[in-house]
Amino acid sequence: MAGHSRSEGRSAAALVMKLRALIALALLAVTFSLLSPEFLTASNLSILVKHVAINAILAIGMTFVILSGGIDLSVGSIAGLCGVVAGGLLSRGLELQAFGVVIYFHTWLVVAIALAVGMAVGALNGWLVARLGVAPFIATLGSLYVARGAALLTTGGATFPNLAGSAALGNRGFAMLGAAGVLGLPVPVWVMALLAVAAIFLAAYTPFGRQVYAVGGNERAALLAGVRVGRVKLFVYVISGFCSALVGLIIAAQLGAAHPATGQTFELNAIAAVVLGGTSLMGGRGTIAGTLVGAFVIGVLADGLVLLGVSEFWQMVVKGLVIVLAVVLDQFQRRSS
Amino acid sequence: MGAGTRRLTRCFVLLCCAALSPACSSGTGSETAADPGRARLIAVITPSHDNPFFKAEADAASARARELGYEVIVNVHDDDANKQDQLIDVAIARKVSAIVLDNAGADASVAAISKARAAGIPSILIDREINVTGVAAAQIVSNNYQGATLGAEEFVRLLGEKGSYIELVGRESDTNAAVRSRGFHDVLDKYPDLRMVARQSANWDQREAFQKTETLIQANRGISGVIAGNDTMALGAMAALKGAGLGHLVVVGFDGSPDAIGSIKAGEIKATVLQPAAYIARLAVDQAHALITKGSTGQPEKQAIDCELVTQANAGEFGIFQRISKEAR
Amino acid sequence: MNAPSVTPTVLEARQIVKVFDGTVALAGVDFRLDRGRVHALIGENGAGKSTLLKVLAGIEQPTEGQLLVDGHVVPFASVRDAAARGIAMIHQELQLFPDLTVRENLFVGRERRTRWGTVAWAAQENAARRTLERLGHASISPRARVGSLSLGQQQIVEIARALVHDVRVLLMDEPTSALTSAEVPVLFQVIRDLTRHGVSIVYISHRLEELLAIADEVTVLRDGRVVGTAPAAEVDVPWIVHRMTGGATRQKPVEAPAAAGAVVLDVRGLTLPAKPGRTALDAVSFDVRRGELVGLYGLMGAGRTELIESVMGVHPDWTGHVVLDGTELRGSDVGRRVEAGLAMVPEDRQAAGLVQTLSVCENITLSSLGQLSRHGYLSPRAESRAARPLAEGLRVKTPSLDAPVTALSGGNQQKVVLARGVMSRPKVLLVDEPTRGVDVGAKGEIVDALRRLAAEGMGIVFATADLAEVQAAATRVLVMARGRLTADLPVSEATADALASAASSTPPDDGGPHGRP
Repeated sequence: MAGHSRSEGRSAAALVMKLRALIALALLAVTFSLLSPEFLTASNLSILVKHVAINAILAIGMTFVILSGGIDLSVGSIAGLCGVVAGGLLSRGLELQAFGVVIYFHTWLVVAIALAVGMAVGALNGWLVARLGVAPFIATLGSLYVARGAALLTTGGATFPNLAGSAALGNRGFAMLGAAGVLGLPVPVWVMALLAVAAIFLAAYTPFGRQVYAVGGNERAALLAGVRVGRVKLFVYVISGFCSALVGLIIAAQLGAAHPATGQTFELNAIAAVVLGGTSLMGGRGTIAGTLVGAFVIGVLADGLVLLGVSEFWQMVVKGLVIVLAVVLDQFQRRSS
Repeated sequence: MGAGTRRLTRCFVLLCCAALSPACSSGTGSETAADPGRARLIAVITPSHDNPFFKAEADAASARARELGYEVIVNVHDDDANKQDQLIDVAIARKVSAIVLDNAGADASVAAISKARAAGIPSILIDREINVTGVAAAQIVSNNYQGATLGAEEFVRLLGEKGSYIELVGRESDTNAAVRSRGFHDVLDKYPDLRMVARQSANWDQREAFQKTETLIQANRGISGVIAGNDTMALGAMAALKGAGLGHLVVVGFDGSPDAIGSIKAGEIKATVLQPAAYIARLAVDQAHALITKGSTGQPEKQAIDCELVTQANAGEFGIFQRISKEAR
Repeated sequence: MNAPSVTPTVLEARQIVKVFDGTVALAGVDFRLDRGRVHALIGENGAGKSTLLKVLAGIEQPTEGQLLVDGHVVPFASVRDAAARGIAMIHQELQLFPDLTVRENLFVGRERRTRWGTVAWAAQENAARRTLERLGHASISPRARVGSLSLGQQQIVEIARALVHDVRVLLMDEPTSALTSAEVPVLFQVIRDLTRHGVSIVYISHRLEELLAIADEVTVLRDGRVVGTAPAAEVDVPWIVHRMTGGATRQKPVEAPAAAGAVVLDVRGLTLPAKPGRTALDAVSFDVRRGELVGLYGLMGAGRTELIESVMGVHPDWTGHVVLDGTELRGSDVGRRVEAGLAMVPEDRQAAGLVQTLSVCENITLSSLGQLSRHGYLSPRAESRAARPLAEGLRVKTPSLDAPVTALSGGNQQKVVLARGVMSRPKVLLVDEPTRGVDVGAKGEIVDALRRLAAEGMGIVFATADLAEVQAAATRVLVMARGRLTADLPVSEATADALASAASSTPPDDGGPHGRP
């Protein structure tokens, strides 16, 4: 009996906790639509979601890493590196000095190469963490610098402008990644939606997802139960690297230019979205859906304040307060349950 | 076990080297150790190399110094006054003949520059001033205010003296952001039919300018143009406008970066204001050389070099942060 | 040398009750400790010895009951209160700071200060050196880093930490578990020396002969109650065992399975080098047949857990041969062992068994996700359909399968971990201390379940330090001592005497595989 009522109380608390971020989101949406008539227009919402997509895609990858008990600080740098790799291949091609030729790849191949680079850096993170036992914070901090440095080296510090490509080289169409797509919704929004569906399925309905939760919840228990802990850790960083590469590509496509400094401090926004969404930084607890809500809270806040013409300084203050408030609420929920 | 540990250590060392190298040793690789007896040494210190503007400064200064027979140490301080201080210590220790410096803060840099002066090493400041005089041997900056008025006048002309516009400001804690914005408004505010509908900081950043412009035009689809505190923000705004089918609107930037000039040539951005960064850097080296060889720069300490307007009409006359004709000098 | 003729009671516990999360650990215990005497506490795992000791040390606060020091009722709200009255405890699990020096460890939290308020290093070092000399270990430098010492030396440091301050009562929980046989007499000498100076000692050990050699008085606990107190001179090992187990064997030994099947697990020459905090294994060989329920008996530090973990492939540095159902298992990949048909229920439920963030159902299915998923899809319905019969078969008491596993009692949590092992349908199930910290009812259910599984043809190895349990449940008993297998007995020959003597037997080369400086 006692156990029963306790578990009811727990599930009610859990429900409130899940809804907490959603309630915040609803409040923000209502506030902004009252203060600014343009907020609720279809075109503004479409742009809003497109802005959210950047952070949400990173945060989805980050959620897997954090669920496994790790952290990935290198996401912004990987985004920068992959954008530059794609930009370089599109605008300058791959120069093989030994043969004196320059190879231009088809746009889709360029995209695939950039994604592979992102996954490779992710795999490097995973290898450091899983095989060499380097603390995730340190391993990915190292990659943060290495990837950023690699991006700067690739371009010599400059920007690769004008990524439109040319029909003669068969590498046009890159800008599509940032443009409007099916049903008038921007392509980044579709990418986010597809990724979110895949991530929710992966996290909740596959053995791999369960193993991620298990490794984050109790690594030793997972190991003794036969979970390939090393492999699970490797994969979560590869997923995060893949998501980071996607973001790098989208930004480069939207701007039509690839800048090596793109993505600085992105890791913090992604972590903030994950935490806002109720995922525990200790690992083992959290959901992809929560992360999406978290990313929307941050995105709505940022765009809404810009729309209202609030100064940059106040935007920072408000964002910080919202994050701290969310985590404080989280603590209250934990303690009371 | 021993082998395993060693391998691990080696990985770690490699990782450390890889992590640190882009941050602190860019450009030093090719220099050989200075022999004070033969070649004299000039230190060139700029904020970073991932911004083409600063890179142009560093490249121009070191190229000119080598022409004049100097060896060069090139370093970046990442806008970190503490790191700048350490770099100046290094320069003092290596007994350089002069320091060409794009400094890390109008107040925060004074002590370090005084220290060099006390060690008998003159500093020639470029691009950014410091808040005292008599410490640096020269302070050569582009005239941001003059440039801003130049850009604003062109903006007014292109808009036909009427309409509404958005202003994108640089990092609000940065002096140049404020000076440029003041220069813009001293011109723009004189026209009653010109109305600013939004003013946001995009922190000098292209992606931020892109996103903020996208959001701002939701509330202000009727605008006629965007004026931005630098070229990267102007390019970001241009990309957003193009995406919204407003690519015909007037966008004016500031800096004269090669990307912006390319955009002007392509008929996208309408104008920018070129800071002669490469020219200033070369000028700084020339004055350092004069100081070393003749004991005087032959110029007053504070020198403001005027900026030039770049439009579609004259875009072909400009190279990397300089008028091509000047390169011949 | 003059033992005081009157021995007044120094420390007394009256009707101590201690309840943890609904589990009664102590059910009204009376206990008296006289001045200058050694009082041994004896009982099976989970009988309440360690809990009682922790109550006496102020680490745990009793739910009910009183503590009296020198005849006065005192509240022990914390370790500091107890320490202020001269009561110190030496823990079973070492509680040292491996990165601090010996000297720093001895005084941590109670540093001696100079008049300037700084740490009086010289005074501390002298006191440390004197204490170590008294313990017969002058060779341990007060400036050595504790992590660099052997396990035995660390145990000495742990004891020194209690002695370096003025103590009247010393509580020792298995102080010899990490000592080599050469080091035990030194400790006993120290104990006798202390009692001569009026220090009283409460002593817990599983080595019964050792207890009788050092104790003046003996108190036996069972299921949280005192079931016997007597002067040590008047009792012997059978008397103690009888009281510990509650009279002969509680459960009838299972009828030996009609015919044990073919050998399913064959371990030859399994060796594991020593490392801090783990017992080395020295060429252990044994086999397990289908349908056998093999008890693996041994004292603390005998190497039971290390053996099970090595067979599971947890330690990468093992050597030897492990053959499962005719296939030799190589490398050290636990996942591959599970796929090959091994499963393990670890000893430390909280640290190594449960995934606290998952539900009951998710914990049960964790080792079987591959079989449960179809084309990579893991259906929640299929999961609960598969987990339900196991949870019901093991009588897991839970509000629902989706309840958080942390909501269950210790015994039910243990059943969840057992269910996980069973669900992967292993050929051999390795169970480490399945009944530790589990209440009596659940204990019986867990043992019953193991029997049933063996009867169905699974080979089962269960490690335990519980003499009665191994006698009651096993069909064959392996005994370990100091990293070696010292006996392999059919249950008919596994008398308490035989097991106890095999468990405390000393290998020929003195010092054993561990404990060398």
